[in-house]
Amino acid sequence: MRSHQGKCGYLRLDGYPSNGLEQASDSGIDKAFLKDQFPELIDLSDSHHASRSQQGDLLTLIELPQFQAPQHAGLTGMDPRVKNQLEALQLHPDRHLHFGRDPELPNKDTLEFKKLESFSLSLNASVWDPPSLNTLWFELVNGAYGDVYRAKALMNLPDGRSMFFNWIVSQESSQFLPLEEISAPNGRPASLSELIVQGKHLDGLRIQSTIDLCLLNDAVLEMHQMPLRDRQKEAIPST
Amino acid sequence: MNHAIISCLLANLPAAEAVLNDIDRQGIDTITCLGDLVGYGPQPNEVVELIRKRGIATCQGCWDEDIIDGLNACECSYPSQLAERRGHLAHQWTDDQLTDENKSFLASLPTSLRRDRLLFVHGSPNSQHEYLLPNMDAFAALERVETAGADILFCGHTHQPYVRELRDGSIRVRLQNADHDCDQGEELTLPMRKIVNAGSVGEPRHGSTNATYVIHNDATDEVEIKEVAYDVGRTCQAIVEAGLPKVFAWRLSHGFEFAEQAEDASHVCER
Repeated sequence: MRSHQGKCGYLRLDGYPSNGLEQASDSGIDKAFLKDQFPELIDLSDSHHASRSQQGDLLTLIELPQFQAPQHAGLTGMDPRVKNQLEALQLHPDRHLHFGRDPELPNKDTLEFKKLESFSLSLNASVWDPPSLNTLWFELVNGAYGDVYRAKALMNLPDGRSMFFNWIVSQESSQFLPLEEISAPNGRPASLSELIVQGKHLDGLRIQSTIDLCLLNDAVLEMHQMPLRDRQKEAIPST
Repeated sequence: MNHAIISCLLANLPAAEAVLNDIDRQGIDTITCLGDLVGYGPQPNEVVELIRKRGIATCQGCWDEDIIDGLNACECSYPSQLAERRGHLAHQWTDDQLTDENKSFLASLPTSLRRDRLLFVHGSPNSQHEYLLPNMDAFAALERVETAGADILFCGHTHQPYVRELRDGSIRVRLQNADHDCDQGEELTLPMRKIVNAGSVGEPRHGSTNATYVIHNDATDEVEIKEVAYDVGRTCQAIVEAGLPKVFAWRLSHGFEFAEQAEDASHVCER
């Protein structure tokens, strides 16, 4: 998407249940992160923008969660139900890539698990004590709260930054990416903040209780932010 | 003669028993304990009573002091809000569990012990809470040993065992006198001193779950850092059964500290 000269679009499809297995709900993390990285990103799930799918130079990323790899490569392997969904949006994919099968995508991103537990938590307006967040994430991805295969989050820091956290069990380390948009250090941010964890034997109550110990209350948040505001004021030249 | 130095037992009875058994097997009957008998771990009374029963000379650790005097944090105590809150939770639990008799014993402990040229403390001669980290500035480290009047300083608190020799140092002092327009210079050769950190029996932090302690030969000054495997699972089970946070058991079973500690080697404790 970074190298594409024209407009970029994004569409997340929910996927379908299979053999009694339910898809995890979408946390919105991917869309929020992409929107931050590509402010002009067109959200094709928004009906106002759906007609723009016909733009000739539009590169659209469509995400679809699946329980298993399609039987056939290329477009013929697409689930007919998905094809119908896309046609309703006037989207006609020219490529169909699958993690673990197509070399264009990282092959380590495939997890061969038939059933995963999922834990998600809205953290909107929450702000973390940064070293505590570091400890929580370390414990989380190293198994302190169950076997975590996948974890993803958008987390707010007291200086106004938001960080994208990404962990896949098959990779050596987590990905930590700062978002471009930085909130003013003035109270609690309005940006999306979510944590989603997938794995086995997850202890959601203990994850939640540890998180409660890591989040800043209003008074401590103000202690972090007041000096930042003062520095910002000093940096503005007087006229 | 060999003598053993143990530190930071932190209410971990299986680890304490394993280390004392290891010392006994070597026929060593002089043992010095550098404190922190309690804290985080699930068997505070049992560990205090074991030390009392064995009559082991012990100085007071930071946890032992806090249980008696209450919490009085410096920023080196906890590097994060999470660590601080876990520490307070463990403090409250330990305070509730300890008998008055065992609290009185902890209150009676001296802050340092001295045998001839050997000084035994928990953190540093300045405070039970000050970390003498292995990469601490050499001059500051030497100052701690020299001003305490010791040749060898035995400490714990960092949970990282190490032996640090401070030698071949010198200070050049130059006095410029404006009135007489002359310079006076003097070079002081600093004496060789040694800091020996015993690591931790109950909460190791050296990349393994094994308990550590040291043996010192007071005739040759040789120091040996010893590692002892113990039944970590037994301690972890006791943590869960005691109702302490399960994450304490997870961290201990992986060789991590119950709650991580500050690692700034330049920090001077302000308690």
